[in-house]
Amino acid sequence: MTYFKRFLIVFICGIVQIFYALYLLLNQFGFDLSWHIDNHIFMFIPGILVFVGSGILTASYYLGNTKNSNILYDEYTALRYYKIAAAGYALNGIGIFVLFSIQDWANWSFQSANDMIYQVAAFAWLTFGILLTIFSAGDYKEYKNG
Amino acid sequence: MGKHHQNLLNNLEELRKKAGLTQQELSEAAEVSRKSINAIENGIYVPSTVLALKIAKTLSCKVEDIFKLP
Repeated sequence: MTYFKRFLIVFICGIVQIFYALYLLLNQFGFDLSWHIDNHIFMFIPGILVFVGSGILTASYYLGNTKNSNILYDEYTALRYYKIAAAGYALNGIGIFVLFSIQDWANWSFQSANDMIYQVAAFAWLTFGILLTIFSAGDYKEYKNG
Repeated sequence: MGKHHQNLLNNLEELRKKAGLTQQELSEAAEVSRKSINAIENGIYVPSTVLALKIAKTLSCKVEDIFKLP
């Protein structure tokens, strides 16, 4: 594993999450998109990418060169991962609170519940997608220049 | 990381240069990324005890020679 490969894996996961999240959120809040993702199997793509990406990173950490892994995942990098995760959880908490608050509980239906699940999923994707993209770009930039 | 870590004085850059090492060489000896060494030198990051000891060992000095409280 190298800094560039890690950047590519994390950045692609982040960008794809942002794309799907924006698509879902725009649909959910009534913006008329001129095109649609017809096959719902495509909605698994962000999740599959995260599973595959984290699998590759985990395997390279445990099975790759130990010295290289120690350098790639040193304590300074770990601290930044923790901060990113903490920011993500905080933003998700606030977002889910807001999403719960704006639901029409008086006229609740299966359709409303379905919509809310999409909204929560899209918001989580958007939050972590943005954080992953910013982190990966910053991490690689620091490696090159910092 | 301490709350007032900006107040921690460090001579890492000076000692590293005195030892004739680049940031890359020091980072490889201590098994951390070069940007960690850069962050420590610039006072952005305070290393763990283990990393501080590894750096001190590489530079053949004491941790107290590298880091000082004001």
